[in-house]
Amino acid sequence: MFKKFDDKENVGNTNIAKSSVQKGIRNQILDQFQHIEDYLDQIMPKKEPLKLVKCTEHIELLSNQAGEVLFFRQREGLLYPSLRLLHKYPFILPHMQVDKGAIRFVLSGANIMCPGLTSPGARMTNVDKDQIVAIMAEGKQHALAVGLTKMPTEEILSKNKGVGVDNIHFLNDGLWLMKPIK
Amino acid sequence: MAEVAEAKRNFLEYSGPKPGVKYPISVLYCGECGVPVEYCEFYPTYEKCKAWLEKNLPDEFEKLKVDKTPTVVVASGEDDGAAAETKEEEGEKKKRQTRGGKAIMKAKKKIEPQGIKMWTQTRGKKKKVTIIVGLASYEIDLKEASKFFAGKFSCGSSISGEDEIVVQGDVKDELFDILPEKWKIIDEDDIDDCGEKK
Repeated sequence: MFKKFDDKENVGNTNIAKSSVQKGIRNQILDQFQHIEDYLDQIMPKKEPLKLVKCTEHIELLSNQAGEVLFFRQREGLLYPSLRLLHKYPFILPHMQVDKGAIRFVLSGANIMCPGLTSPGARMTNVDKDQIVAIMAEGKQHALAVGLTKMPTEEILSKNKGVGVDNIHFLNDGLWLMKPIK
Repeated sequence: MAEVAEAKRNFLEYSGPKPGVKYPISVLYCGECGVPVEYCEFYPTYEKCKAWLEKNLPDEFEKLKVDKTPTVVVASGEDDGAAAETKEEEGEKKKRQTRGGKAIMKAKKKIEPQGIKMWTQTRGKKKKVTIIVGLASYEIDLKEASKFFAGKFSCGSSISGEDEIVVQGDVKDELFDILPEKWKIIDEDDIDDCGEKK
């Protein structure tokens, strides 16, 4: 989604979210990420206003007052955490670990293919289709991408072919390189 | 296939925060390429990253070395046949890279500061404007700069192009003092006075 994303070209105007909107977002976050509850106030203090940044392709970024992107979504859909946030709180998403050989490709924006998830170096969490997952790597500590599963874990195992997880946001893509929002 | 199925049984668990870990975790990012240090090796700037790490965080660099040395020793310890093999392997790796398109995105080139140029132009018969070019290459936000000039000189100031600010009035002399003072990265010698243009 952010492979060809540019600070200057794709970012529109910034708004401060109304408190009702912010409440809605908080509830959606609590809904989507089951383990986040205790830390949500730390990530997104209630008192602090939230910035909404409109971008092209109906992408909307949510950032805190410091201008760090926390979450993003497309067309009012699911909220994805940004990688910087995920690095700080890795438990908010289920992890999918790919093998070593896949890292290069994921880092250049490729979707995650099933064989990269089923080989001995890889490990998966048992999840359903259309679930947001963190892409981890064999022998590495931090996440390298945020993805959306295209098939349930069992199907990835049985089929072992084609795209297993869509790559939404990866290290050094347009969103990662974005400067803090003013 | 059976092998794969067997090796697979240990699923990861989607559990909450790990006990005993204090969140938020602070992650070490590379100053050269900006990614967590462990991923530097996948970027073309790896050599520079290593240099950066050695200079700024010698402890981490040592750790990296410890991880790497055993493999190096093994490779050099083997006979010529094995060496040739490894070479072949390398060749294969390169081939695969070209076949699959570019495997790794090129790091964006950083624009080197090219110095600042400024000159005046005449508007009407007796009025002048000052044009400043080159601020953006110092990673200065033009909008902010233009606002700053407008406030400082109490005059109109606007962004007129990609990297160009027009300030109403002849303020060249003041700019020589103010630019290095406001933005520390600018040196007074970098500023080039182009006189008057039409």
